Amino acid sequence: MPKTAARKPPAKKPTKKTAAPDYLVHNRAAWTKSNARYTGGSARESWSQEPHWGPFKVPEADLKALPEVLGLDVIELGCGTAYWAAWLKKLGAHRVVGVDITPAQLDTARELDREFGLGLELLEANAEDVPLPDATFDLAFSEYGASLWCDPYRWIPEAARLLRPGGELLFMRNSTLQILCSPDDGDLGERLVRPQKGMHRFDWTDEGKPETVFHISGSDMFQLLLKTGFDVVDFREIFAPDDAVNHPYYQWVPAKWAKRWPSDEIWRARKR
Amino acid sequence: MADADKTLALPEYAVRNRAVWTISNASYTAADAHESWAKDVHWGVWQVPEDEVQLLPDVRGLDVIELGCGTAYWAAWLKKRGARRVVGVDITPAQLATAREMDAEFGLGIEFIEANAEDVPLPDSTFDLAFSEYGASIWCDPYRWIPEAARLLRPGGELIFMRNSTLQVLCSPDEGKVVERLVRQQKGMHRFDWTDDDVGPSTDFHISGSELFQLLRKTDFEVVDFRELIAPDDAVDHPYYSYVPAEWAKKWPAEEIWRARKLGL
Repeated sequence: MPKTAARKPPAKKPTKKTAAPDYLVHNRAAWTKSNARYTGGSARESWSQEPHWGPFKVPEADLKALPEVLGLDVIELGCGTAYWAAWLKKLGAHRVVGVDITPAQLDTARELDREFGLGLELLEANAEDVPLPDATFDLAFSEYGASLWCDPYRWIPEAARLLRPGGELLFMRNSTLQILCSPDDGDLGERLVRPQKGMHRFDWTDEGKPETVFHISGSDMFQLLLKTGFDVVDFREIFAPDDAVNHPYYQWVPAKWAKRWPSDEIWRARKR
Repeated sequence: MADADKTLALPEYAVRNRAVWTISNASYTAADAHESWAKDVHWGVWQVPEDEVQLLPDVRGLDVIELGCGTAYWAAWLKKRGARRVVGVDITPAQLATAREMDAEFGLGIEFIEANAEDVPLPDSTFDLAFSEYGASIWCDPYRWIPEAARLLRPGGELIFMRNSTLQVLCSPDEGKVVERLVRQQKGMHRFDWTDDDVGPSTDFHISGSELFQLLRKTDFEVVDFRELIAPDDAVDHPYYSYVPAEWAKKWPAEEIWRARKLGL
């Protein structure tokens, strides 16, 4: 995808060598809407906060899931409004690049970057196909970005390509259990409503509009990481804190559920 | 073995579990042991062949300990695959009696010790592979048996074990078969006390994948493989271990295998 697509008039003829995946197009539409409704408005507060993980905002100070990032070259894959990119920069990362497919999200990110003066580099690109050279980063990061919205069989090899040997991949995604208990419509429940066997792509509908996310089992994720040259060095399942309340916007996980079962998980892997 | 038996200082749960396995030996495992020993290597309730799973390292020349060996069919398979020394430990004399009988018949020269896998009377750094398939991996406290396995292994040695999947445990009611619903919470999961009209009360242990990962890291292991096993399409309910319906296990993994390597090489 061209870097400056957002600023060009729509092309009448397809000019790309390969067609953008179908899911990329409708996920961008979904995030354009979410930006207008929520993330555009919440971004300034998020940028100002201390690092925390997931919808229930578990502080990094409690989890200690991050490596030392001082001096590292970092890429956030599916950065959205780039609050994690900002936090990593504030923690001392050297170069921080955020990539995302949604111009509206990147506009918010750029506006905040000017305001906070952090010097992030923000690039409109699909994390499955990043227009940057091999072995450019020490840390590839995603919190509900590529880790959820991109095909793991594409974005994880791409992250491996972008990392230097010894570099780390760190990402948060939904727990497998959450997906198994997520009905096509409505809140997460306590019934297993879909099989784990063969799980990979999920096409959801939100207010009549399609959204596509990806989730492979823990076992398949482990195998994929091994095959793409990673060693798995940490794995965390995250519960909501005892005092958690339902998230104002990401409401599909009731806090009550997430206090009993992990709704999120963090993987940390090191490139051999 | 009666004298040795009396000297074993066992936790209360091990005493109960020994009673359960004495009954299970009489009703199933003793009669089944000959067939199991004779078979090719396979994993778990659904007998998924190692040829398909391809998880085992090359065991030729390795010193191996099976922790909670029961009738020791895995010890036998590992010996047949070329392991040098194979030791099986178990707390249940009836299970070890079956294992010794099989070993005499098959002539494999396996060593058996009546011991709790949480406290094995053998020196540090004695083995290259510590193994458990539904042995110590479910019947022992992971906070005790995993450090003990670490102690028994040489640097670079491996720990391989199969246990129930976390999902299976979450879907296991106090009584009856596994269901398609979360009936217990994951937070704080560790020890489970069960009642069973046929075999009596038992205790097993299960910590979440995340907790297990942390425990392995803290006991100086790196996790080198993780597999969730789904039952083959043609699986039918197991004749004895029938708590997981085959139909359930075809949709969700009932079992998982962990492989970890002790740091220091």
